[in-house]
Amino acid sequence: MNLLGHALEHYVALSAVLFAIGAIGFLVRRNLLIQLMCVELMLNAVNLSLVAFNRVHSSDGNGQAFAFFVIAIAAAEAAVGLSIALGFFRLRNSVHSDDADTLRH
Amino acid sequence: MHGLNTLFPATDCSLILVILVMPLLGAIVNGLFGKRLGKSAVTLMALSAVGVAFLASVTAYSMLLTQQAQAAHAVGSHAEHPARLAIELWRWFQISAAKDGGPVPIDVAFSIDALSGTMALVVTGVGFLIHLYSTKYMEHDPSYHRFFAYLNLFIFSMLVLILGDNLAVLFVGWEGVGLCSYLLIGFWFEEEKNAAAGKKAFITNRIGDFGLLVAMGLLVYYVGALDWQGIQEGAHRLVTGVELTPTGGDQLIAKVFHALGVNSVSEWFLTPRYAMASTLVALMLFLGCAGKSAQLPLYVWLPDAMAGPTPVSALIHAATMVTAGVYLVCRMAPVFALSPSAMFVIALVGALTALLAASIAFAQKDIKKVLAYSTVSQLGYMFLGVGVGAFTAGFFHVLTHAFFKACLFLGAGSVIHAMHARIHDGDASQDMSFMGGLRRYMPLTFVSFAASWLAIVGFPGTSGFFSKDEILLKAFTSSIGLPNHSGMVEANRGAGGIPITAWPSWGSSLLFTLGVAGAVMTAFYMTRLFVGTFLGEFKGWTIIKGHHAAHNQHGHDDAGHQDGPVAGLDLEGEAPHESPWQMTLPLVVLGSLALFAGLLNMPLFGFEPLGHFLEPVFASVHTVVVRPHEHELAFSLLPFGILAFALGTGTALWVYVAQRGVPAQRFVAMFPGFHRLVADKWRVDEFYKEVVIGALELVADILVWVDKWVVDGLLARVTAGAVAISGALLRLLQTGRLQTYATAMVIGLTGIGWYLTVPHATAAVLGDVVTGTYTLEAPPGIGYAYRWDANGDGKFESEKFAEKRNLELKLERTERRQVVLEVRSAFGQIRRQTFSLERPAEDKSTDLGVQRIDVYPDSKGGRKGVVRRQPGQPNPIKAGSDHAGSAQ
Repeated sequence: MNLLGHALEHYVALSAVLFAIGAIGFLVRRNLLIQLMCVELMLNAVNLSLVAFNRVHSSDGNGQAFAFFVIAIAAAEAAVGLSIALGFFRLRNSVHSDDADTLRH
Repeated sequence: MHGLNTLFPATDCSLILVILVMPLLGAIVNGLFGKRLGKSAVTLMALSAVGVAFLASVTAYSMLLTQQAQAAHAVGSHAEHPARLAIELWRWFQISAAKDGGPVPIDVAFSIDALSGTMALVVTGVGFLIHLYSTKYMEHDPSYHRFFAYLNLFIFSMLVLILGDNLAVLFVGWEGVGLCSYLLIGFWFEEEKNAAAGKKAFITNRIGDFGLLVAMGLLVYYVGALDWQGIQEGAHRLVTGVELTPTGGDQLIAKVFHALGVNSVSEWFLTPRYAMASTLVALMLFLGCAGKSAQLPLYVWLPDAMAGPTPVSALIHAATMVTAGVYLVCRMAPVFALSPSAMFVIALVGALTALLAASIAFAQKDIKKVLAYSTVSQLGYMFLGVGVGAFTAGFFHVLTHAFFKACLFLGAGSVIHAMHARIHDGDASQDMSFMGGLRRYMPLTFVSFAASWLAIVGFPGTSGFFSKDEILLKAFTSSIGLPNHSGMVEANRGAGGIPITAWPSWGSSLLFTLGVAGAVMTAFYMTRLFVGTFLGEFKGWTIIKGHHAAHNQHGHDDAGHQDGPVAGLDLEGEAPHESPWQMTLPLVVLGSLALFAGLLNMPLFGFEPLGHFLEPVFASVHTVVVRPHEHELAFSLLPFGILAFALGTGTALWVYVAQRGVPAQRFVAMFPGFHRLVADKWRVDEFYKEVVIGALELVADILVWVDKWVVDGLLARVTAGAVAISGALLRLLQTGRLQTYATAMVIGLTGIGWYLTVPHATAAVLGDVVTGTYTLEAPPGIGYAYRWDANGDGKFESEKFAEKRNLELKLERTERRQVVLEVRSAFGQIRRQTFSLERPAEDKSTDLGVQRIDVYPDSKGGRKGVVRRQPGQPNPIKAGSDHAGSAQ
């Protein structure tokens, strides 16, 4: 059980902190690019806990494999999210998420 | 005759099918292909269809006669063996609604006996003459083929009605006749009033048909049969009491009034009444008869039905359809005869109808209207006859009336035909004020009309005299007694308490007086009609209103027509002319029948072949009471009939011939209001419009109001408002801000995560009371660990939390135990739950030793027990709904 000299709790705590930072950043910032970064942060926080638990609790590589899937999906998400942001910027000349409120009106 | 009997055996007599199918064939051929076939082919088809049916009827009749004669020869009695030909085609349906629960089969079956045979002869015979007549009368109508298709269909329906062997088949014909009358009355439907008259006839008839349907239901229930033989044999079961309440089983109205404090009204609704089943059935049947045969209060359709072509009037309103009601009463005589009260109602309604219709006929100008009301009046006589139990007399009047009334209608048609050729105006050519003196121009029509006139006014020796006199006599001498033969009433009285109303003592005298009064009136107005049409001077030379004659044809001066309506203009042009032979031949045949058909039945002189022939049909009627010394009474009452004829005819002749109508005009001048009231038919139509249609419209108005304000206003608006408000509230959540949505997601996810990680100490308890094995199973959860206290000693089996989620234990009888479960979550929170288990004592109530209340089979085929909840604690049971009970 090689966790690079740290206990499982440390990894879980770091993951929780990273996730909270990402979530709060997503909620409080209005810049679409920053929000996308926050989403990446949350995904990576989850990845961290996945691989950490995998080292402790599992003998196959399920957690690691799962992390790879998350990375792949995160890449796709980043591509779609960024192109939406780009399209939105061309349309409105803004990357402010509050400006994307056409559905309300 | 022997050959015929071999060809058509009495129990499988395909001859009946010939009678039935020919008119149907005619209707189909003429209806579908008539337009392409051309007039002569349509004529051939229609005439041959009815003609063959008539010949087949004659054959069947002769077979009946020989059969009856043979039976009489063999047994020496008429009454024992009713002659009958029958054919059973297929089982229609079967119902098991009888009181005794037995099945009631309904067959498509037809039969001919003396009654239906005579009727079929009249329908096909008179029908054929009317068909022949129509070939000329309708010659120039563009819808010639349609007319004959309807006419044939009508004959077919009427034959189904007559020949049907049970009420269900009769009902098919009954409805078919109604449909055809609708089609034929509204034949010239381009004119609004004709179409309206057709509708009126149909709807009024439907009201009566409702009664017939109800009667059928009652007969199925009480008698358990709808075929004639079954009804005849089972009719005595109708002598039983029936409890009736005004609103049936529904006591809502009574409760409403009770709540309002009007107890007397509410009691009225709740008080049961008692009637005899036969009275109910008879009155319901009579409602049907009143609709079809134009009796009070449903007679209003018949006079309006004159909107149809005149041959239709002759066919429907003289010979066939309207007599269906009388036929039904005769056919159901075994049922009717069991209820003196219903029969008195029938006789009284008949007599009153006769009087009322006669009074209206006094003031009508339209020749067909007079005849229409006289038909209603004569139908009243028939019901008076059958109502007092003189079925033969009533039916004989059907027969003679068919002859003389058909002749009168066809004669009127001939007159209208001639008048129309002269004045080219539909309404005016029926108006008696333009007629008169037609004797000179239409000798054959005049002679035959005169013969029928003599018959209807009751000139001694004519057919009408014999039939009407017989009815008047019977009205006085005959009545319906209590149905107490073979102790029926006495036997049933003890059980149900049968309320039975006897024939009133004054009934006979009243009915006789009404009948004689009606006879006087009939003689008067028919003489007025006859004199006004055929005697005196022709008044059609001068037309009061303007007319739209084809003047070129008449070589008339054009200048006279420029100004539109012209008053008092003398019309040149052809005089009225006699009709062609196709029209006069039926007149002559019917006229001679009107004169001499009385010879068929003259009980006055002891010669009544028809009566003897019909006797077996009414053999099962035992309740008709006849006064003693009837034959002597017949002769002493005879003067009344003759006097009625003499008085009515004499007065009319004096008024309209000797005085040239002056007294009548003076009378009208003296009482203009009264005259207008009578001319407006006592305003019965208006009364119905106000009361019946008005009530319907009131209900419709109320419903419209409810629809507008309750359905639309309340329901629709409340629904719409609720949707709008919830929409407005939900719209507040739709901010369009990404952060709002993200926050909602975070809150929701956090909530779910919290719920999943908090421990929940629950367990499903499965118990088998028989074996005493109880199992507790706690649901799994993320990071949960469990520990149990199985024996209730306060100590856990192992202090360490483990993954063991279920616990099994055994209980003795009546043993009670507390089981404790603790669940710990991944964050160290602990929840605790106590279960109280008790195994009940052995249940001795079932010999299987299985506790029914507590043990249920579960889905896996095992058994489930139930645990009782401890007071003050939440229900620990989390299991399927199939053991939601409590362990005892």
